[in-house]
Amino acid sequence: MSEKLKQLYQELILQHHRHPVHFEKREDAGAVIEAYNPICGDRFQLYLDMADEKIARISFYGYGCAISKAATSVLVSQMDGQGVIQAAQTIERFLHALQSTEENPILENELAAFLPARQFPERMQCVTLSWEALKTFLAGY
Amino acid sequence: MLAPEQIRREFPLFQHHPELVYLDNAATTQKPSNVIEGIRGFYEKDYGTVHRGLYDLAGSASARYEAVRQKVVTYVGMKDARQVVFTSGATAAINLVAHSYLMPRLKKGDEILISALEHHANWIPWQQIGHKTGAQLRIIPLDKAGNLSFSAFRQMLNAQTKLLAITHISNVLGTINPVPDMVELAHQHGVPVLVDGAQSAAHYPIHLDDWGVDFFVFSAHKLYGPTGLGVLCAKFQHLQEMQPLFTGGAMVRAVSLEQTTFAAPPQRFEAGTPPIAAVIGLGHALDFLNGIDKAMALAQLNDLNQYALELLSKINGWQRVGQPHQSSALFSFVLDGIHPHDIATFLAAANIAVRAGHHCAQPLMRELDLPATTRVSLALYNTRQDMDRLAEALKELIKFWS
Repeated sequence: MSEKLKQLYQELILQHHRHPVHFEKREDAGAVIEAYNPICGDRFQLYLDMADEKIARISFYGYGCAISKAATSVLVSQMDGQGVIQAAQTIERFLHALQSTEENPILENELAAFLPARQFPERMQCVTLSWEALKTFLAGY
Repeated sequence: MLAPEQIRREFPLFQHHPELVYLDNAATTQKPSNVIEGIRGFYEKDYGTVHRGLYDLAGSASARYEAVRQKVVTYVGMKDARQVVFTSGATAAINLVAHSYLMPRLKKGDEILISALEHHANWIPWQQIGHKTGAQLRIIPLDKAGNLSFSAFRQMLNAQTKLLAITHISNVLGTINPVPDMVELAHQHGVPVLVDGAQSAAHYPIHLDDWGVDFFVFSAHKLYGPTGLGVLCAKFQHLQEMQPLFTGGAMVRAVSLEQTTFAAPPQRFEAGTPPIAAVIGLGHALDFLNGIDKAMALAQLNDLNQYALELLSKINGWQRVGQPHQSSALFSFVLDGIHPHDIATFLAAANIAVRAGHHCAQPLMRELDLPATTRVSLALYNTRQDMDRLAEALKELIKFWS
């Protein structure tokens, strides 16, 4: 197995894939956001309760590949309890780093784990799927 | 009959990618050197436009272009070259039939019959003209193994049915539909039939006159030929009754300020300058296929498919999707707990090209209750070694994943 591939599927990502954070359907959530990729069929729902300009509670449920599921799990773990502005900034920072060619952009460990996906352009949308969906929601909030 | 290893040598791409195991042939096939050289030679030595120049090159280009029409007719078991229309692809050919043949005949309450196996190209055009006319799309269901329910089909045919549009071979499950039987039954009810031959035209015997098929479509690029070219083969009477979908140059008889008289088929449906070099390339692709013993080639493909299925079924957690009675050298599979995109990325790293996803057949995937599968589709250049490498790579992936 190639090094490139081992980095993409590194332990942190596999852990989040196997044991996703806040992986639960919540019909009574204040807002339900759908993150859907029509190209591959991956589909996640993000369940949010907003309070005092904050993401008071967030969980997710759905189906996707290891990369998209782990990326959604990390998103949920990062966003839980964050203020709207701070959350939007974190998302922007992450999406920007994924597009940059900078070797080691400054990112939290959980986010940096996805940087090897830059070597797999066709998998980049797996990483960004739920992040883009939440970004759109927060922009309209 | 040539062994796959020898056929593989006729495909220059494998000289540039000697380690490549190419198993995405249902999406598109690689090109043999006679097709590549044929197109190159045409541009280098023989290029001119068709149907309008009075100089030698235009005349000979027209003759070459029309000769391919004749080759197609023979290949699909028809007689008259006027029955062959060149389009931009199989999708365009289906859209042409939908808009020019069927839509003017539809009224509210009519029915268009398709099957649950159809990919989007043979689904959406019918759905859309249904929306426009009030006609209803009806779907022949599948059994658990992935076969069409013939009894359901029998019951669904009725006086409102205006067309049956059916794939010859499923691009997801490999199911081969009993086209001659279906055509016979449909015709008993006066229902014309369109057969989507995208997955069958390369390797399966096609006898359109014997089968009585009304419309048959296929793509050149899935038949070892160039992209950007599809073919509609139809009963001439149907073509005569159809109005053009695209209008412009080359498809007219007389044009005045107010009126245009359209040319006879097939020119009527080939507005503008056609993809001349692609048509020439298709001719060479048919030469390539006519140069091999097709019955032997098909037997070889089926053997290889069987070999792959036996090898893979020994892998823990591997499961084929569907078990159709009659299957082509194409199958989808799932691995316990591993998403098809992760499988495809692993295989790609091992230089194995497969397709993962919904295969442009979302309604079928919903019916199967699977968001996605991984698909293996074989062509004449695939070898047992390819299958061994696929099996080894999948075992390695499972080891890593567990």
